[in-house]
Amino acid sequence: MTAAPLRVVAVVGTLSAPSRTTALVELILATLAARTAVDTRLIELHTLGPAFTGATDRDQVDDEVADALRAVEEADLVIAATPVFRGSYTGLFKHFFDLVDQYGLAAKPVLLAATGGSDRHALVIEHAMRPLFGFLQAWTAPAGIYLNSGDFDGTTILNPEVYERIEMAVNDVVPVAGALAAVRAGNAAPVGPVHV
Amino acid sequence: MAFELGIYHFGELTPDPTTHQPPAPGTRLRELVEQARTADEAGLDIFAVGEHHRTDFAVSSPAVLLAAMAENTRTIKLSSAVTVLSSDDPVRVFQQFATLDLLSGGRAEIIAGRGSYIESFPVFGYDLNEYSELFAEKLDLLLKLREENPVTWRGSLRPPLMNADITPRPDRELPVWVAVGGTPASVVRAGRLGLPLSLAIIGGSYRQFAPFVDLYRKAGAEAGHAPEKLKVSVNSPGFVAATHQEAVKVSHPYFQAGWMANHHQRGQGVPMPKMAYEAQATPAGAFFLGSVQEVTDKIMAQYEVFGHDRMMIQLGFGNVPQREALKSIELLGAEVAPVVRKEIASLEASAARVTA
Repeated sequence: MTAAPLRVVAVVGTLSAPSRTTALVELILATLAARTAVDTRLIELHTLGPAFTGATDRDQVDDEVADALRAVEEADLVIAATPVFRGSYTGLFKHFFDLVDQYGLAAKPVLLAATGGSDRHALVIEHAMRPLFGFLQAWTAPAGIYLNSGDFDGTTILNPEVYERIEMAVNDVVPVAGALAAVRAGNAAPVGPVHV
Repeated sequence: MAFELGIYHFGELTPDPTTHQPPAPGTRLRELVEQARTADEAGLDIFAVGEHHRTDFAVSSPAVLLAAMAENTRTIKLSSAVTVLSSDDPVRVFQQFATLDLLSGGRAEIIAGRGSYIESFPVFGYDLNEYSELFAEKLDLLLKLREENPVTWRGSLRPPLMNADITPRPDRELPVWVAVGGTPASVVRAGRLGLPLSLAIIGGSYRQFAPFVDLYRKAGAEAGHAPEKLKVSVNSPGFVAATHQEAVKVSHPYFQAGWMANHHQRGQGVPMPKMAYEAQATPAGAFFLGSVQEVTDKIMAQYEVFGHDRMMIQLGFGNVPQREALKSIELLGAEVAPVVRKEIASLEASAARVTA
């Protein structure tokens, strides 16, 4: 029996197009696709519009936004990416995860990625993003991916180390995502208590 | 000095990605001699060979290999790239390159560096804790040997020299360049000493190195060195072919194999995906990778940023097959070099007119 493709949903907290953060996420998705069978979906939050930004409660969103939130909750692997804005993730990014179900990401693999103007913001992944996903009890991948503006020419990623970092992060997270997806699909027994 | 174009090589013995067989060291060395001859015939200005001290490289003694090249070439300059001065004896380095200079009719050069691989330190009994001091002191001695004979010199990491006669003497001042990667202090040192700077840009955006070159020229000017003494060489990997597609297709599998063998994360080689390699071939990327036109444009764009004096391409890294490498060398010498030299000479002439 072949395993179903991994359902990968990328959430990009960017405010603009073209976007370096989106370019980074597209590279991560391409690297994932080269590694294993995936169904991918890319959600750029600024395209969701007033039905998203105007909603203070899950009940107020329209069908498109509800679909995006559900996609994240049902994914086998989430890529969470944001530009650094005023020292942290963008407001759009936080707003989206404020609307996601409290336990919608629990024990779900999440790969963290961010872009910023300089390396002075590199710890945004550890100091802002990981605590948020820690609260959501997500299974964050050990290696986050951070790029500064010098790593790009426009939206082309020039720094070879970035490609390396992505390969490494993807190699770390794919087996975990695959194993957890198999457990959810009932194809593998969850790991229970070990009796010696 | 007219703008110079050249090639550098480390003589890596990366296994072929299809056969998984490493080339025999002797074969590789003879191939490099043939590459130097081809570069000489194609009209390139310089051929340089690096120095590594482990099984997956064929070159640990550049001066010996360069001497063989000297016998097979007529006008091309022959340089180390780099001499790991920190773990060598400056007296021996000077003697070997002075010999090479005399043999080759004044074509020898030294590019000295601290070394990015550290295998040579234990081999020759040097303490890595003194990595930086070793280079500073040995560079000081090498420059002193260039200036005077007999020489009297005292340092703290090597026995002193008392009125020592160091021979043979070359017929001219042996050129010594300083190789740097990404350390600002190294750039400042080269500038203060008024030594030409050999800058390795092995990936990413070359524009990021502009402040680096500015810092070098500033440090050199503050130390009172004339601007024309403060030469800059830009050195990056690449491969030239008839078309962009061919350049990438031919060289990528070998580059990736070389990259994986020499670039590790968590103790394992990490691949260089084709799209990462292609990114280096875009106008802003560092590699001299692509068609004749693309590589010519890249050099000219870099000249606008750096106003440098020399570029060297690490051609066909990872052991592109010899036939393909020779074709690439011919294209670089016959098609890229004449255009670049002419364009830069005309830019310099018009700049001189404006100044006058």
